[in-house]
Amino acid sequence: MNHPERLQTKIDAYLMQLRRSLGELPPEEVGEILQEIRGHILERAEASGELTEERLVAILKALGRPEEIAPLYQAESLVARARTSFSPSLVLRGALRWAMLSVWGFALFIAGLFGYGLALGLLFSGLGKIVAPHEIGAWLSPHGLSIGTQSDPGAREVLGWWLIPVGLGLGSVLLVGTTRFVRWALRFAKIRRPTGPRSPVSPRP
Amino acid sequence: MAKNVGPDPAENWEKQVRKGWLELAILASLWEEQLYGLDILRRLEAHSDLVLAEGTIYPILSRLKRDGLIESKWVESEAGHPRKYYWLTAAGRRRAAVMARYASTFLTRIQALIAPLLWKEER
Repeated sequence: MNHPERLQTKIDAYLMQLRRSLGELPPEEVGEILQEIRGHILERAEASGELTEERLVAILKALGRPEEIAPLYQAESLVARARTSFSPSLVLRGALRWAMLSVWGFALFIAGLFGYGLALGLLFSGLGKIVAPHEIGAWLSPHGLSIGTQSDPGAREVLGWWLIPVGLGLGSVLLVGTTRFVRWALRFAKIRRPTGPRSPVSPRP
Repeated sequence: MAKNVGPDPAENWEKQVRKGWLELAILASLWEEQLYGLDILRRLEAHSDLVLAEGTIYPILSRLKRDGLIESKWVESEAGHPRKYYWLTAAGRRRAAVMARYASTFLTRIQALIAPLLWKEER
């Protein structure tokens, strides 16, 4: 039962699954990871004398499931890239990755979504006022302040044309602010910052 | 080593402790010489029971490298496949030394704190 090809197929299947799970990483990085893990498996196999199927299964089991190992690389890599990116999508994806690993990450992701959502809302209402000045506005009604279209006849418009600069300005500030905040908060994610003179683990005097 | 105190919570705690120490253990294993992944694992196995899933040390190595604490290069081996060797950078040596000092102080203090618990269990 222990044909070499059969064992080879098992190794290949493991590496293939790992490659699939690593999806998001740059191809060169994926190549290096696979080569390193492949070397690990082969060397463990050689060290075990005659390789049987049980032995190979044990080696792969000790290594861990590909679906469990791959996210560890991704979390590190994606969060690392997100920390220095200006792209809201990348920043938010970094936060989402962290959100899957910790409660703090989840809170940050929700905060990021809220910030970007509000920023987009303001930007669109500023733009909307240019396109449809009579329908779009900032309205004060008995239900409170709302921005957008208004069906309540009792509502009165409060900002008028000012909605354009206020919406665009505030929206932009919030967009940049949210990005900066999420990036800043990602510094506290699993990844530690590059070592510096002031290390967070320095002993108490 | 540690007796299994109970079901999940204790097991989870042990996992967290292992995770926290693993990084220092990896840096420590590279203190004297350059090693490749499996070498590091063997060293950790010989001196500790820190590693649960062997595959988890590779992402940690990759992060340590990204953080500039270690460097790596591929070396052809007589085994027929190349091995990726790691060594400490100057920053890595500094960090490892700081971590080791902290860990040592930490252990001494916690040892004093938990000593009565051990004594009680022995009786």
